[in-house]
Amino acid sequence: MTATTSTEHDFAPRRSALYAGNTRAVIHRGFLATRSTNGLVVLSGFFEPVFYLLSLGIGFGALVGTVQTSTGQEVPYAAFIAPALLAVSAMNGAVYDSTWNVFFKLNYSRLYHGMLATSLGPLDVALGEIFLALVRGAMYAVGFMVIMQVFGLNLAWTALLALPAVLLIAFGFASLGMAITSYMKTFNQMDWIAFIMLPMFLFSATFYPITVYPQAIQWVIQALPLWHGVELVRGLTTGALSSMMLVHVGYYLVMIAIGIVFTTSRLRALFLK
Amino acid sequence: MSALNQTPAAPLTATTDAERALAAGIAPRRWGSWYVAEHRLRGMKGYLPDAIFQSFGNPLIYLFALGVGLASLVPQGVGGVTYLQFVAPALMATAAMTIAANETSYPIMAGFKWNPIFFAMNAAPISPAQIVNGTMIQLAIRIVVTVAIYFGIIILFGAVPSPAGWLAIIAATLTGMAIGAAQASYTSTITEDKGQMAMLQRFAITPLFLFSGTFFPLEQLPLWLQPLGWASPLWHGTELGRVFSYGLEEPLWLTVTRVGYLVTLFAVGLWATHRHFARRLNK
Repeated sequence: MTATTSTEHDFAPRRSALYAGNTRAVIHRGFLATRSTNGLVVLSGFFEPVFYLLSLGIGFGALVGTVQTSTGQEVPYAAFIAPALLAVSAMNGAVYDSTWNVFFKLNYSRLYHGMLATSLGPLDVALGEIFLALVRGAMYAVGFMVIMQVFGLNLAWTALLALPAVLLIAFGFASLGMAITSYMKTFNQMDWIAFIMLPMFLFSATFYPITVYPQAIQWVIQALPLWHGVELVRGLTTGALSSMMLVHVGYYLVMIAIGIVFTTSRLRALFLK
Repeated sequence: MSALNQTPAAPLTATTDAERALAAGIAPRRWGSWYVAEHRLRGMKGYLPDAIFQSFGNPLIYLFALGVGLASLVPQGVGGVTYLQFVAPALMATAAMTIAANETSYPIMAGFKWNPIFFAMNAAPISPAQIVNGTMIQLAIRIVVTVAIYFGIIILFGAVPSPAGWLAIIAATLTGMAIGAAQASYTSTITEDKGQMAMLQRFAITPLFLFSGTFFPLEQLPLWLQPLGWASPLWHGTELGRVFSYGLEEPLWLTVTRVGYLVTLFAVGLWATHRHFARRLNK
């Protein structure tokens, strides 16, 4: 009689627990898996923004000359797009890791089913996956910033702060991306994610100033997360600090908070019924 | 027992199982490529709404982003035409390449590996060459439809000054087919998925997109990067498109060379794909 009660007592909190304090295990497994299967593919992701920088920065830049940033600074075209490419690659990496990658583990390899059958909770899994995405993002960012330095595209010492900024951006996208992925059921629905990211990628003052657009469209773009990321990183690499940066940072902090709460509750709804 | 042994109603001319099988195989043997193409087109049903939406959505987004946005940075235009007119044929050719790259990646690997329908087709009276040709027919149809939609939207944007502009549809399709056949020949040799498709996308398709004089004349690149463009089928396809859509001036021999290059690439790719399919299916 007493034994039964005590067992139930032991189990009850564990089943509903969100967090076992063992994110480490998820991360360790992630590193092992990356090393043994797709390490090269992961490393090669670094080249994508570099190709964009070479092509647009040098080729298109030769047609354009200088461009005015939102703070009124005239900068060479390559220095205008390089920080944007950095923000974009943070977004792409985080979204790829938190959507396609998670989608596969969720619906095909059933990795999370296994993880959650152990003492791990949904928050362990969410934090672990997000951390892995951030490590990958940080690797790309460091590499890209070295290249920016070599090409002379870091115009101020504040460029160093672009690194934490990139991590903030990646964190925001990764946490929200994972929550959204938990609703996806088929590969075709996944294509819609790409279809939302494409306009965001092209329109967020990435390749030209946002002032090209009419006011109404500018408001829409400013509501989207990538624009805040691009402006934040560009401000840091060009050295034009402004109070708007606090808004950009705040935007991502809210996004991260919403994403984590959302993802955790979704994973719990999916697995711990 | 006797009921089982009874011959079911047979074609008038055939009396044995073997003869009936041969008779039933005549049509597939003759029209096999089209059967395969039909099968693959029907297979598109699952993603048809997405494909249609993207056929309209992608050009609108790109033309708006590049034709309006990037164009604002180049008010002087390029080579005597507006930036939009300059970039439009390049975007069409790029769309053809993107479709070709998608359709000849996992869909072909799947046919061998995850849903090995190619082996099933080969067990029926359809030859490996017909499977390849059918796949290419389906690819061509999908490219032509998408590129034609693209062209219609570009016309609406007023970006095709030349009356011969529609020939750019053919140029773009030829570009897509050349790249598609080349990629298919590689994909059909892959037995283990180790991320080759991602690498191909990253180190072939994306660089082609970026270094083929798509957003700016190839001559703007430093000389050491230009050979990338010269080798690129996308560059030749794009320049062909420009010749047709706004009369880009180039010597006739160069235009002919570009067509020749694309046709040769397609022919070699197709030949290699035939070989790879035959070797793998008839093992």
